[in-house]
Amino acid sequence: MSSAKGVGLAVVLWLVVISFLHATLNLGVFAPHKSTAEAAFRVGFLPVTCHLTCPVTDFINKQLSGESGFEPIRFQAWPELKEAFISGYLPATFILAPLAMRMREDGVPIKIVYLGHRDGTAMVVHKDSQIFHIEDLRGKTIAVPNRFSNQKLLVVKALKDHGVQPDEVKILEMAPPDMPAALFSKAVDAITSGEPYMGQAELDGYGRVLYQTKDVWPNFISCVLAVREDVIRNHRETVQKLVDGIAKSGKWLDQTMDHRMEAADFVSQYYYNQNPRLLRFVLSKPPDRVKYTNLALRKNDFLEIEALAKETGVLKGKVTFEDYADPSFVPPNNSLQPYAWEYQK
Amino acid sequence: MNKSVLSILLPVAVLLVVYFLWDGAVLLSNTDIFPRPYQVFLGIGELIQRGVLLKYVVASLFRVSIGFTLAVLIGVPFGLLLGWFRPAFLAFNPLIQILRPISPIAWIPIAILWFHVDDRAPIFLIFLSSLFPITVTSIAAVQNIQPVYVRAAQNFGLTRLDLFRRVIFPACLPQIITSLRISLGIAWLVVVAAEMIAVNSGLGYLIIDARNAGKRYDLVVAGMLMIGLIGLILDLLIRRLERFEEVKWGYFGGR
Repeated sequence: MSSAKGVGLAVVLWLVVISFLHATLNLGVFAPHKSTAEAAFRVGFLPVTCHLTCPVTDFINKQLSGESGFEPIRFQAWPELKEAFISGYLPATFILAPLAMRMREDGVPIKIVYLGHRDGTAMVVHKDSQIFHIEDLRGKTIAVPNRFSNQKLLVVKALKDHGVQPDEVKILEMAPPDMPAALFSKAVDAITSGEPYMGQAELDGYGRVLYQTKDVWPNFISCVLAVREDVIRNHRETVQKLVDGIAKSGKWLDQTMDHRMEAADFVSQYYYNQNPRLLRFVLSKPPDRVKYTNLALRKNDFLEIEALAKETGVLKGKVTFEDYADPSFVPPNNSLQPYAWEYQK
Repeated sequence: MNKSVLSILLPVAVLLVVYFLWDGAVLLSNTDIFPRPYQVFLGIGELIQRGVLLKYVVASLFRVSIGFTLAVLIGVPFGLLLGWFRPAFLAFNPLIQILRPISPIAWIPIAILWFHVDDRAPIFLIFLSSLFPITVTSIAAVQNIQPVYVRAAQNFGLTRLDLFRRVIFPACLPQIITSLRISLGIAWLVVVAAEMIAVNSGLGYLIIDARNAGKRYDLVVAGMLMIGLIGLILDLLIRRLERFEEVKWGYFGGR
């Protein structure tokens, strides 16, 4: 059975070689420095502008002190991010506001501690389409990112404000990265999600903006920062540091247009792996397309979301603001200054 | 023309036809989204230049190698055991038949809850995808052994261990190797889906990442192309197992 021995040897050799390569190239196991002092505090995010403060905080922290204190973990889609949070892998994450509220209803120990942004959502239709007003959406198909997204509630609100019943349109769920191509091929009539996917359809010439959030629901909230309850109990200081970092990087982003363009560059390059041109576009045209200041938790904002969510069946109405939110980390107004940092290329 | 020249010329001709059909279709439809073939090759070039292609190929091969090896180490002995001991077969077969038709993709949520989002989750999914074909074929291989082999061996007075080692296992080997070949194909098929979980490397991740990156369908197709090519190489490698003397009889009417 010499050939059997040969095969066995080859298999073992292959396993050793491929494991070694993987450990070296991808896991960085043999990399020289690896701070093992404290386990990293993971923060989940998706590559969307609603979560921009997450990479910006990480990047500026690293530049200022050489250490972030957080490990941003990029996800590709909502279901996986949600599952990673439920399983306890993520102590903190950026997440859709209604989804976080719904998870609370379903018994997940989640608390909203801060906002991630305001506005930053558009509805885009094909430039050749005959849809010029919200009323023209009657009988059309609209893609939304998730059934528990505030974008869906925004669609319902926009329709109702213009006398269209929500059952007069067809709303379907679609992963935001797939939306521009779906609109291009006219598989759907309208798409709405967080940026930069709406900006992409616009930038590439086949999309036309039907509305921005500020036209329908000013100071719209799509995503919030949420943490697990046990983390609030056991790691209060870390959560506070994270919230402060997001507040400071939000203020930094809104301080000057230069800061936004710098963020577009380093976030595209190091975190989102997108074309910098795209992020530059959505962060500047117009500048109030998405905002990163005024991120404190206000109960009235959430009551508004709750009311719409109950109406559309997204929430059952079993939980209150006090159940799903913990505003105690919100820094007092104007107590924090923007990060004092300039980007050196 | 002799056979070996034809065996190269014909596939090359088909590939060229597909290449031009693809290119022509993109040009004719005037689409802005779907890449032309040369853009895909440029995309592959860009991946090499950025140094990620080797990393991603290694990551995917690592997960498939570990998951598949685990499936073989568990599936083959387990299958042989169930094929040999009838009560064990009766006990476990219904469970296996229930688990077998479940797509590994359906296991993704469970995999994340159990193994979080590091390498273990995709390895688990690949393991599952290979385990059942290997187990079921191993069971069938033992059950289908011609009784005359076993009786002849018993007449020679072989002990149970020897019977298993010298008659049953060699008799099953050709079928087991065929199942390895099929399930390695399945494992490689599943790697894309398995890497859609938040791992940050691998060819499946490359495709998801390219979708997130905006209009980078050239990289999506580049990822698909790499998966196809590596799948081909894996199949060629595992087919070499079929050439060994110990199993050759199973393919060329030795019975």
